[in-house]
Amino acid sequence: MSGSGGAGAQAGAQVTARPGTSAELKAAQAALGAEHAAVYGYGVVGGRIREDRRTEARAAYDAHRARRDELTRAVRDLGGEPEPAAAAYALPFPVTGPESAVRLAAELEDRVAGVYSDLVRAAGGDRRGAAAEALREAAVRAVRWRGGSVAFPGLAERSTTATASAAPTS
Amino acid sequence: MPFTPPSRTLPGPRRRSLLAGAAGAGAALLTGCSASDSPSGADGSSSAASRARARAARDSERLAERYEAVLAVHPALGGRLSPLLAEVVRHAEAFGGGRASDAASGSATATGDAGKTAAGSSADPSVAASASPSPEVPATEKEALGALAAAERDLTDRRVKALAGVPGELARLLASVAAAGAGHAFLLTEDEK
Repeated sequence: MSGSGGAGAQAGAQVTARPGTSAELKAAQAALGAEHAAVYGYGVVGGRIREDRRTEARAAYDAHRARRDELTRAVRDLGGEPEPAAAAYALPFPVTGPESAVRLAAELEDRVAGVYSDLVRAAGGDRRGAAAEALREAAVRAVRWRGGSVAFPGLAERSTTATASAAPTS
Repeated sequence: MPFTPPSRTLPGPRRRSLLAGAAGAGAALLTGCSASDSPSGADGSSSAASRARARAARDSERLAERYEAVLAVHPALGGRLSPLLAEVVRHAEAFGGGRASDAASGSATATGDAGKTAAGSSADPSVAASASPSPEVPATEKEALGALAAAERDLTDRRVKALAGVPGELARLLASVAAAGAGHAFLLTEDEK
């Protein structure tokens, strides 16, 4: 390879110079990081989930891998270097059986929803649409795992306000 | 790299307390919205944004009316629908809508008033004209749930399509509410699958 020196880097520099793009790149990297974590996390979920929900966990795992690959491309398109996956991730709580596996799956979706809502804000055009679609899918999976809804998926600042005072239901 | 444990939220309390809470919190949410809406103030198209916001509020108010109409005909669905209705009410409030009086009275027929107040600041004849009378409620519970799910899905689709033209912070809220609607549609029809 004798190339004429840094044509790729130059194209990247042009892209990053566009106003607003650095915020989008940052949000895309954050989303990529969350998808890496979700792929890892669903590996843990898959090992502990009850038989009758294994297909669902597998479908979610595949969906997050696809989103991860999509974001890897998006980060490159934005002139960035895609953040690699970590070797391992600290789980938010010990996953010891089917019940905690389901809880972890719901947490993973919550976290992914959070980064996608930020990406919706930072991105424009098709990438905004893709982020909104990913947010929608994560929110529906979270509802499935949890068996209940939250009012504002992906908006952490609103999730603590009103639904925190959950009364026991009959 | 650790997972950030998000704050957990649980399914909400029953209808009565939720509606009362929602009505009470309405004013606070409204002022909160206008204060934090555009931190930079740099979204050059603020009137288009406020129209999009008002439309989103009206959409959620219409949807809440459909829930209430179904509840009036099928009160046995209360346990299932009330938490979702409470979220729809919060959506309307987040977009700056206010249906406090409606929620407090528990009436399912206040279409005229809701339309008037919603359209108040930005008179939009096309929207005012579309303020429909109480929606038809299917006779069976299953069909009623299916109709609500269809309404949720339809609104979710329209919201996602509207994302392209709005400033970032509003787009983030719209996308979240659209995602919540997709979750509602799932919960309304999950026992059919």
